[in-house]
Amino acid sequence: MKIEIELFGASRDFSDKNSLKLEVNENSTIKDIKKKILDYLDKNFSGNENFKKIVNSSAFCSKNNNIISDNYKITKNEKIAIIPPIGGG
Amino acid sequence: MLHTKIINSKDNKLSISKAENFIASSEYGASIFFTGTVRIQNNNQIVTGITYDSHDEMVIKSFKEIYNETEHNLNIKDKAVFIEHAKGYLNIGEISIIIAVACKHRDEAYILSRYIIEEIKKRSPIWKKEHYNNNESAWLKGNPIIHEKN
Repeated sequence: MKIEIELFGASRDFSDKNSLKLEVNENSTIKDIKKKILDYLDKNFSGNENFKKIVNSSAFCSKNNNIISDNYKITKNEKIAIIPPIGGG
Repeated sequence: MLHTKIINSKDNKLSISKAENFIASSEYGASIFFTGTVRIQNNNQIVTGITYDSHDEMVIKSFKEIYNETEHNLNIKDKAVFIEHAKGYLNIGEISIIIAVACKHRDEAYILSRYIIEEIKKRSPIWKKEHYNNNESAWLKGNPIIHEKN
């Protein structure tokens, strides 16, 4: 199934678009999605370690604007957001 | 009494006078105005500007949550709070955030203002990309967001 991950902050460097579109297995969890993104970075950025660190220190957010856990199951066509470490003000 | 907004720098600039008008419309006499502005120097580098990125919906949600919890956490019931944050490219000296608060008494106003900025730093999904005078730029590291709801 297809899912879309909106990019924010430092993760915007992962693509020249505002989101990543990934094909994942049904019943995939956030943990699985993280792996998929790391695979994508391996393929497209030769495993850029700084980018991988960003993924590993990021949270994810549901379409309802809640932070979701590693066990959260993604549904078909769901749009989630990656939330890298923050620092406004 | 709460006002929150993300201001896209392409459309508008943050304005203290707007915050003053909001606070003047409240019934409280002790007010604090906090602003954050873009600094020319950070980590020994000359900064020419900052691009702010924001997950707008989550940011506004976090502002509302922070405001709502001050009644319980700080025991401050009567208050007026104005929070605006910039998004997009800002030049040196431009305002990135305004937090204006008004309470019945000054002790409460100081506590409330400080609490709001510290919680925003911890919880509101906003990011900064600094631009330097050597034409390079870098996202600032930041802190992992707190996982509140699993």
